[in-house]
Parts: sequence; structure tokens; C-alpha cells
Amino acid sequence: MNRKLVITVAGIATASLAVVGCAGGATDEASEKSLTMVDWGGETQRVAMEQLYQPWAEEFGVAMKEDSPTDYAKLDAMVQAGKVNWGTVEVEPNFTETACAAGTLTKLDDAVKRAAEEHGVDPVTMSDCGIPILQYSFTIGYNTEKFPDAHPTTWAEFFDTEKFPGKRGFWKYATGGIFEAALIADGVAPEDLYPLDLDRAFKKLDTIKSDIVWYDTGDQQTQLVASGEAPLVQAWNGRIFKAQASGQPVANEYGEALGTYEQIVIPKGYANADLAQEWMQWVLATPAAQAEYSKQTGYGPVTPAALELLSADEQKELPNSAENQAKMAAMIDYGYWAEHYSEVTEQMNVWMAG
Amino acid sequence: MSTVETAAAPSTAAAPKRKYFAIDGWGALVVPLVIFLVVVFLVPLVAMLVKSFTDPEPGFGNYVAVFAEPLYMKVIMNTFYVALLVTLVTLLLAYPYAYLMTLVPPLWRNIMMVIMLIPFWTSVLVRSFALIVLLRDTGVINTMLTDIGAIDEPITMLRTFSGVVFGMVQVSLPFAVLPMYATMSGIDNRLGLAAQNLGARPSGAFWRIFVPLSVPGVAAGLLLTFIQALGYYITPALLGGPQNTMIGELIVQQVSAVLRYGFAAALATMLLVLTLVLLGVAGKFLNLEKALMRRS
Repeated sequence: MNRKLVITVAGIATASLAVVGCAGGATDEASEKSLTMVDWGGETQRVAMEQLYQPWAEEFGVAMKEDSPTDYAKLDAMVQAGKVNWGTVEVEPNFTETACAAGTLTKLDDAVKRAAEEHGVDPVTMSDCGIPILQYSFTIGYNTEKFPDAHPTTWAEFFDTEKFPGKRGFWKYATGGIFEAALIADGVAPEDLYPLDLDRAFKKLDTIKSDIVWYDTGDQQTQLVASGEAPLVQAWNGRIFKAQASGQPVANEYGEALGTYEQIVIPKGYANADLAQEWMQWVLATPAAQAEYSKQTGYGPVTPAALELLSADEQKELPNSAENQAKMAAMIDYGYWAEHYSEVTEQMNVWMAG
Repeated sequence: MSTVETAAAPSTAAAPKRKYFAIDGWGALVVPLVIFLVVVFLVPLVAMLVKSFTDPEPGFGNYVAVFAEPLYMKVIMNTFYVALLVTLVTLLLAYPYAYLMTLVPPLWRNIMMVIMLIPFWTSVLVRSFALIVLLRDTGVINTMLTDIGAIDEPITMLRTFSGVVFGMVQVSLPFAVLPMYATMSGIDNRLGLAAQNLGARPSGAFWRIFVPLSVPGVAAGLLLTFIQALGYYITPALLGGPQNTMIGELIVQQVSAVLRYGFAAALATMLLVLTLVLLGVAGKFLNLEKALMRRS
């Protein structure tokens, strides 16, 4: 092979590399009527797509696309690069607050806010940049074989390893409700939770430190409690609900549950943001869609009308039914977490490693 | 990985002339790779370095924050400790395995190769979950031992230091065995016979002829194992307890949850600098370049 040919080949290879490098740039969303929804993946995402998006998309002739999982860093990077192809993204409320203030998210139209008000959405769960999409709870998830008769019904009992022996599973995540649970277990009145007395929380956590097992994912969580390795976990009610429905020996205890919710936001610069806002109004005004979503996931709907569509039996499994709402200790205050997330995460890392 | 390959390539091409940069027409074929590395490796690396000094505000703030909390250096040191230990254990297991592969008939060699590679083709996440099912208190091993009456209480293997090392060694083995085997299979076994013919005992011939000739493969395998072990975080996060946190996990936490990109960049830079320092020191004593480029 002569030198010229080799150089030609190298040149072609280089050029094709350059082409590949640029190919990702074109956005195909702007012109067509489409919406990309982003969720955390898995079963919940499938149900959300099927119940909360597809009926709307069919009615209005919108092409639905999806992506997963939600990734805040990716969202940030998209907005900064000006190439946003995520439309409606399910996020945690503290992210909404921080990102909204930083200007990474699209502000909601007045029409969306009016719709939320009109359909009775809890104003606490609304934001300038996001609507709530589901309510869930940090419950006491327990193994029904290990605790057939009595199981912990309060956080104080959850922390009582003598009365209820065994490992405790907690989410390795500062906003996962661990500090709130510790403080309530230590006798702090729910209305005095915030701002959190972290020293007191860590002191309470010290008493069960050697019994704590951490989980990162929902799968790990159900694996821990169903296998009996950690017969008690501070759980996401929907995960336990699903595991129970599939025949695993687990159940939710709603006593002193900590209420929480997720929001849908639209990254700034999304070409079809108007379409996304139209969907928001539709979903808030369509109780049937929310009710079906709740029935399948165990996560509560955000409007009272949707709750009313569900039978008493179905409501029993939802965090915001009248019965479970009455047992709830407090709502997680995401305003607090938006401000303190970073520093508390560091303190939590230090405490865990110590 | 690329270090090893690019370092080896010129020596092949230039061996007769003993010159490193004797590029002929074929050398131009390297250009796409160089451009690729610059685009996907060098540019992001520089961007990260810059970010660690500029985000959220210019200055050394991120580095001050790294040192202000002892946790971070502690975790970085733990990361090096775990990586070194994993490398050592991997070496002890991989060397005999690779050696055995050169001795057995081809059929068995293929079987050994497949046994080692099948896990390699499975995702790290899946393998770690499989190990959880095996190792946990209510897992396969503990249940079996309890059922046959060997133990009364389950032995805690999950979320311990040994659990982390076990899992990481399992992931690392192919990276050590493959380069070792590649080098060993190229060693002329008549050299050992010649040594014995000249009066060496078989063990003497092994240690003084075979082992030195296998050093390039061992060095490559160790380097690969060590460098990638430094970046592990999925396996330690799943199999270890919070005491076994590796720096990769904290960096990911800062990037994807806390969103302090500048601070994450500073942590990553610390890891990079300390790794380079360590390799520099090791290079002084071990002469890595020579070990890697030596022809067997």
C-alpha cells in the first residue's frame, strides 16, 4: 500500500469522526408536534406514559416520546448547551425550587396555575415552575413474616431495636426522610420539625447506627425487607405496595408516615414548552387519568376529584386517602431542603463514614 | 488502557532503529485516534480542571472546601487502599490462573478462557446484585451453611470490607488475566528446559526464567486493575457499608444529586493528581515503562 493511499484512508477516517461528532446536534423536536416525557424509569414510568400521557396525546394528535431516568445534571447541561430535548420531567420538589431560582426551568403559565387552583391542588405542593404529579409517603415498610402479630406503628417503635429486633433499612439520601423520622422518634412535635435539629437527629440515629442498612434504589429496598435481611425499612409506599401485590411478605404501616410528592417541570428552552403546559392543564383536569395511575402504582393523585373516583379499598393503599392522611405526621418541607441539601448531605456522609 | 497500547505501539514499529518517532506512511493511521482522544478525553479533562477553579466562583474555594472537611481525604485514602489491596489479591489469583492456561491442552484453555470471560460480558450492576443474593445474611451461602448445621448465626459478608474486595476482585480478574496470559503464551518454554539442562531445578528455572519474562504482562495487568479499581463505585456502594465508600461515589453524588460541579471537579482532580503522583513514585522504583515495553 503506498503512502498516498494510507494518508487518504486516515483522512477519511478523521473526517467521518468529525461528522459523527457533530451529528448529535440537530433537534427534530421544534417543528413537529411532539412531547418527550422523562420519569425515573421502570414500572412507574410505564404506567405514567400509559395513563397520564397517551390518552392526551391521542386526543390532540401529539407524538409522545420518552426518556429515563431523570438526571438533574443532564437537565442542567441541556439547558446550558441550549439543546433541550426533555419536555416534561418528573423531579423532586427541592430541585424545582433551586432550579427555578437559578432560571433553568420554564415558568408556568397563569392558565396552569389557575387550573391547579380550580381543581383543588394543595398550594403547598405547587411551584412557579412545576405542578405536583403524585403524592407518596415515607412509610414503615415491614416484613409480615417476621412481624406477624405486632409491628412498629410509630417512628419511636421503629427505633426501638429491643422490642422489634432486626436491621433497619434507610434511603442513603438526605431528603429521604431519615432525619424527620429520627426527630419524631425522639419526641419532637411534627409542627416543630423545621428547621431540623440535626445534632439531635444524629444523636437519635447513633442509638441504632449498627443496625442501619442503607439502600440506594427501590429494588434494593424491597429486596431488603422482603428477604427479611432488614425486616423494617423506611419505605416508599408505592414500592411496598407493588411488592405486596406480587405476593411478597411485606406491608405498609401508615402510622406517622411522612408525606411527600413529586413535581413535573419543563426545562427552559424546550421548543414545545407550550404543548407541555397544555398537557399540565389537561392532566389536572382529568381525574380519571390520575385515578387509574394511582390504582396501578399506589401513589396518590393530586386532585380531590381523582381520589373520589377510587373505591374505599383502593384508597386504603394511597398516602392521601382521608384515613392515611389522618395518620400522617408531617409533610416534608422542601423549602428547607432546597436551602440545606448540600450541607446536610456532607454531614450525613461524615456521620455514615464515622 | 490507552497508555499501554500507545506505549507499546511505537516500540513495535521502531524496534530495529531504536527510535521512538520513526513515522512512515502507516503512522498517519494513528491520526484519527489522536484526534478522537483529544476530543473525548483531553478537552473534557481540561474543562474539568478549569471548572474546579472557576465554578461557582474563581479561586481555590473548591479545594479549600475539600480540605476543610477531613472526610474527603479520608475517603480518597481509603480508595487508594482498597484499590491496592484489590490489585494485590487479583495478582495472586490471576497469575497462577494465567500460567495454568499456558500449560493445559487447547480445549481446557478455551474452557478456562470462557469461564473467565462470561462474567466479563455481564453488566457490573447485574453481577453485583447476584453477589448480594449470594452473600447476604439470608442469602444462598448463609442459608446453606445454616441448613447443614455448619453455623448457627449467619456470617455477615455483605456490607463489609471483605465483601467489597471480593466483589471488586471478581470484576477485575479478566483485566489482569488477559494481558498476563498474552505475555506468558509468547514465552518460549524451551528457555526453561534449557535452564534445567544447564543445572537449574524446575523451581529455579520458573523463578529466574519464566517469571522475569512474564513481567510485562504482569505490569500491564496490575496497572489496568489498579487504575480501574480507583474509579469503582457501583460495586463498593452495593456490597460495602458506608465505611467503605470510595471517592467515585462521592463525586457522582456531587455531580448528579448535589449539583456542585466545581466541587466534584476538584475531588476528581485530587484523585487524578494523587494517582499520577503514586504512579510517578512507583515508576521510580519499578521502571514501569521498561517493564511494559520489554519484549519477551
